Amino acid sequence: MKKSILISAFLIFNFSFLIRSHAQCDTIAAVCAKHVISPYISDGQQYRALLLADQTAEFHATFYGGGTYRIAACTGLKDGNLIFSLYDEARNLIFTNKEFKNSPYWDFKVTSTMDVIMEATLGGTQSGCAVVLIGFKQ
Amino acid sequence: MKKHIFNLIPLYFISLCLVISSCGGGGEEDTADKTMEKMIDSSNVTIGIAGKMFIIPSPIQTAILIQKSGAVYDKAMLNAPNKVNSYSTKFQKCLNLGIYGADLGYTTLYDQTQDALAYFKSTNTLAADLGLANAFDKNLIERFQKNIGKKDSILGLVSSAYRASNDFLKNNDRDEEAALIVAGGWIETLQFAVNIMKTKGNEDVKRRIAEQKNTLNNLIALISTYQGNEEYAELLLKLNDLKVEYDKVEYKYIYDRPVTDEATKMTTITSKSEIVITPEAIQAIGDKVTAIRNFITA
Repeated sequence: MKKSILISAFLIFNFSFLIRSHAQCDTIAAVCAKHVISPYISDGQQYRALLLADQTAEFHATFYGGGTYRIAACTGLKDGNLIFSLYDEARNLIFTNKEFKNSPYWDFKVTSTMDVIMEATLGGTQSGCAVVLIGFKQ
Repeated sequence: MKKHIFNLIPLYFISLCLVISSCGGGGEEDTADKTMEKMIDSSNVTIGIAGKMFIIPSPIQTAILIQKSGAVYDKAMLNAPNKVNSYSTKFQKCLNLGIYGADLGYTTLYDQTQDALAYFKSTNTLAADLGLANAFDKNLIERFQKNIGKKDSILGLVSSAYRASNDFLKNNDRDEEAALIVAGGWIETLQFAVNIMKTKGNEDVKRRIAEQKNTLNNLIALISTYQGNEEYAELLLKLNDLKVEYDKVEYKYIYDRPVTDEATKMTTITSKSEIVITPEAIQAIGDKVTAIRNFITA
């Protein structure tokens, strides 16, 4: 009996996490979009992941040489709650916003076309929707 | 501890089964079940393959490169806007919304106002058919018309509209459609590049074609998620056929320590990449890209 109560409590927690997080994504995306403004052009997509504190979302992309990219990464309604790190294809660390007060956005000037991997984790909260937006300028 | 969210999906599914089995039958429960199933399915939309998400570059980026290459405006290589009503299935509509979006970007970059308007109407028609009226709403149409001739503003508006469409589709568990729109845009700009190579030849454009090797892999990974459908399977088959040619492209990457400037929030990445592609490979890639594009726009 005690076991089933515990299971039920666990399930309710998980479901409520899903419901809340999904509803949050929209609002967070709108907040995050303010970081990708002219002269940056949005790549026309929104990348999102529902995360728990110990989880990491991984994004694979290609950055073209000669371009400048802006990555905006948000969770919650305040800036600075999402930690994101950029690696090259050999997993050399290119950048982490952890060293810059979890800055909600950062720009990357790319000399030569490269494949990149971005990792995003929650910076303090127990769960939430991580939203990543990418803009570019030539 | 690194753990991808994908690992949680079976947990939620099991959780759902447990909750359902403990609730018993009944109409209200059925409705609740559907709601929960939808909720669980929607958690999938945040995930690519094994917790990874694959990002396909904006078609506008390659269109900009083509314009900068000095290539003249070539309307003939675009998909005719009046074909918009010939696309009947959701699969065709989504792919061609991506195609027309790329064409709209191309015409805008070349300041072809009348053509841009025609492509805007076509994208608008397909978007409405797909229930994306929120993204391509009256306000956008007015802003588009008001900003005609202002290239940067139009590109910004189009990108925002596509992002709004992307958001809407993902919010409504329609990730498949979002993926197809992205695929269509990618194929169309690759087709632009292939055409430029055939008629003019340009090192930057050739390089950009070769640089699509990883993006193609990402696109295949993205589309593979939905391969249960026959139409998707055929598209995937063609993309894998293209991959055979891309596998011949040699790519070398040399790491260099990046330079970060906190004041400007800018990191300059000076790593270098070298790409080797033979004329035969370019030709073969071009032929297969054209075949895929014809499959989509037919």
